[in-house]
Amino acid sequence: MAERETLEVDILIVGGGPAGLSAALRLAQLQKQKGGEPLAIAVIEKARDAGTHQLSGALLDPSTLRDLIPDFAAKGAPLAAEVHQDNIYFLTAEKKLPLPITPPPFRNHGNYIISLNQFAKWLAAQVEAEGIDLFMGFPGQHVLFDDTAAPGAERRKVIGVRTGDRGIGKDGKPKGAFEPGADIHAKVTIFADGVRGHLTKELIQTLHLSATSEPAQFAIGIKELWDIPKDRLAPGTVIHTLGYPLRDEEFGGSWLYAMPEGRLSIGFVVGLDYQDPLFDPHAAFQHFKRHPFISGILGGGSIVRYGAKALPEGGWNTQPRLHFDGGVIVGDAANFVNSTRLKGIHLAMRSGMLAAEAAFDAVRAGDTSSTSLASYKALVDASAIKTELYPVRNVHQAFGAGTMAGGAYAGIAMFTNGKGLPDISGHPGHQAMQKIEDYYGMTKRDILVPSNAAPIDRRLTFDKVTGAHYSGTHHDEDQPVHLLVQTDVCHSICGPEYGHPCVRFCPASVYEMVDNGAGGLKLQINASNCVHCKTCDIMDPYGIITWVAPEGGEGPSYDGM
Amino acid sequence: MILVIAEQQQGKLNRASWEAIAAAQQLAAGAMPVKVAVAGQGLAGVAGELAQAAVAEVLTIDHAALATYTPDGFVQALQQVIAQVAPTYVFFSHTYQTRDFSPTLATRMDRALVTDVIAIRAVGGATAFARPMFQGKLVADVVPQGEGPFLVSIQIGAYRADTAAKGSAAAPITAAAVTIDESKIRQKPEAPFQEAKQAVDLSQAERIVSVGRGIKAVENIAIAEQLAKAFGAELAASRPICDNGWLPMERQIGSSGQTVAPKLYVALGISGAIQHLVGMKGSRTIVAINKDADAPIFEVADYGIQGDLFELVPAIIAELQKA
Repeated sequence: MAERETLEVDILIVGGGPAGLSAALRLAQLQKQKGGEPLAIAVIEKARDAGTHQLSGALLDPSTLRDLIPDFAAKGAPLAAEVHQDNIYFLTAEKKLPLPITPPPFRNHGNYIISLNQFAKWLAAQVEAEGIDLFMGFPGQHVLFDDTAAPGAERRKVIGVRTGDRGIGKDGKPKGAFEPGADIHAKVTIFADGVRGHLTKELIQTLHLSATSEPAQFAIGIKELWDIPKDRLAPGTVIHTLGYPLRDEEFGGSWLYAMPEGRLSIGFVVGLDYQDPLFDPHAAFQHFKRHPFISGILGGGSIVRYGAKALPEGGWNTQPRLHFDGGVIVGDAANFVNSTRLKGIHLAMRSGMLAAEAAFDAVRAGDTSSTSLASYKALVDASAIKTELYPVRNVHQAFGAGTMAGGAYAGIAMFTNGKGLPDISGHPGHQAMQKIEDYYGMTKRDILVPSNAAPIDRRLTFDKVTGAHYSGTHHDEDQPVHLLVQTDVCHSICGPEYGHPCVRFCPASVYEMVDNGAGGLKLQINASNCVHCKTCDIMDPYGIITWVAPEGGEGPSYDGM
Repeated sequence: MILVIAEQQQGKLNRASWEAIAAAQQLAAGAMPVKVAVAGQGLAGVAGELAQAAVAEVLTIDHAALATYTPDGFVQALQQVIAQVAPTYVFFSHTYQTRDFSPTLATRMDRALVTDVIAIRAVGGATAFARPMFQGKLVADVVPQGEGPFLVSIQIGAYRADTAAKGSAAAPITAAAVTIDESKIRQKPEAPFQEAKQAVDLSQAERIVSVGRGIKAVENIAIAEQLAKAFGAELAASRPICDNGWLPMERQIGSSGQTVAPKLYVALGISGAIQHLVGMKGSRTIVAINKDADAPIFEVADYGIQGDLFELVPAIIAELQKA
């Protein structure tokens, strides 16, 4: 059997999204500015090609980009269109009501509509041009801790990451082409593993990084890329909607971003703190597309791509402790998203830059302890990240009291800049889901049909399996299932209590309850449909689903998303 | 002139080669000659079979170093033959083997390669090759640029093998002389994997009976097996059946299984998820039996029967046995 390889670097960046790539680029810049012995830097990314797992709306606030790459236009940054028109509507079942004013967070002049896939691909090219190694198709499997510390020592030092094995069969045994993952040792590891990063989750649990944070809050964003008749929406048109088909108890809304050549990004966001156990976010998106306003925009067009991704919504107070011995956390993994502005790319990039500065100095000083890396937290606190996130720190939590109450709170926070408002304590979103008996009383229901089931016409609306196809997702069938589920819960209490909500909150039909041949149901996991959105890891009411990385290079193929 | 590279293994012609010949004949439309070349060792039988086609010549590239396929060996041989014949186009069928060596061949020759072509049409006076993009969502017309010959691989099932015109007399068979530097062959093929030995190549099947979730239980697979036997067909399945282990994974049709284009495809209890459809929609005649009239399989079926397969299949078997 092949030996496990070990690679030594100075700084390891885990994740090739906007945060990780910005960190890498900033390190290259610091190296040039400050000179000295060149640092060994490596970036690992689970996708086969740069940008392939990147999904966002996306609107880019270019403030960080200007600081990181001032000549971004000359370098051909792929900014699809500058925003020239903002619209926000409240939808009822039949009508659209324009909001009297566009609330400030929804004003997007000066921002750009981008494809995050294209943008990350371009950023990766800038990083490679600086001579930094990008290891594509290498997921981090586990955090490596230094276990040589004295027994009973409280704090454990992170010394790197072990990448995933290749060539393990369904039965867990090595196949012909087995290749063990490599141990990458680093003086500093920058964790940029995205929303609900599976390594960051391991860090938070092992090092208790969220002990003093508010519980993280998430939403799921389901997106489609469409080609519509070219004259229907001018490129640069931005539309957001609130309301239909969501009820007051559900948090969320939609976006439509028009790009050149009739390319349209359309998506729907639902807070992963809904109460109705039989609610299905994907079905809500289908209802939304059937609204006369939306179907009028999409009619005659066709779907090009599909995808989904969870997004952090909890804001400033939910950030974990950002630094520890041997590492820091950046970007979505640290919950740096401004959910009131629906933007996080610029914050992810900013946190990557700041982490790079702290890590560079720490390595140069020969001290990569948590105390030394605390300079990263100080930089974040003095940066635009805090200026932007602190005033709106309670907004998502306030929506826990309903859309109307939350909206009112958001308004107050905006006017007062968040001053003098008490911190609102939230609960983990999945705890909001009620049991069938509590939500529906004793009414018997067919638990496998969503309460908001939507008609599927295969023109405007699609089932999840068709969506999985349009996500381009691919996984070798002959490998261990990468979703670890304690199925005894599924087969005992989950049916009567929650009616198997995984079947509904998964946007790619990974979870299916099938006939067990004995008059009951059993869980079937179609792991190869997975689009790596992390929703199951977040939303399952018992916390019994753990997402781990499948074989390197596999997953969705988000060209143009 | 168009040179079609046919594919064979141990003296057995790959049926998809006839599809590439059909595509070449349609583009040539009698205005330019079509030749066929085939590489390997011991090619008399295959060459004789190919000579039935309405082509100007069949070239055999017979060499001991080509007895077992290696990309380096094939690239060396084909590069020489293409230089000798000097065609305008070189056609391949888009098989696994073509996918393996054709990029190297094109790079070695510094010529354009258009892969996975589904149609050929005139666009603004130029010959354009249509190929799917974004998992078949879009089709791009590609006009190769630069100097010829242009290399083109034809998607399996895009052209029908039985439309390849047969000649009134057998085409002449000529041996093409090539020199192969065996020291430049870097691959050392080993014996085929055990699993490959057992694998069924459904893409070669002329008739397929395929089962889906509607079959309900593993013991009911026997019904589909009987129908397959009555048709002289191979048995295949949609994904849930293979996931359950009711049939081996190698019999799975669709995006995570095999892509097939048989003359007859009978879908029993298959709803027709898009992942399944992409693997079989090129079939010439599709017959679907399903209880659900709204099942998407009926959108691609030539003959659809809404009904209970457990009643219908025995009736069909009985009719077939009468015939």
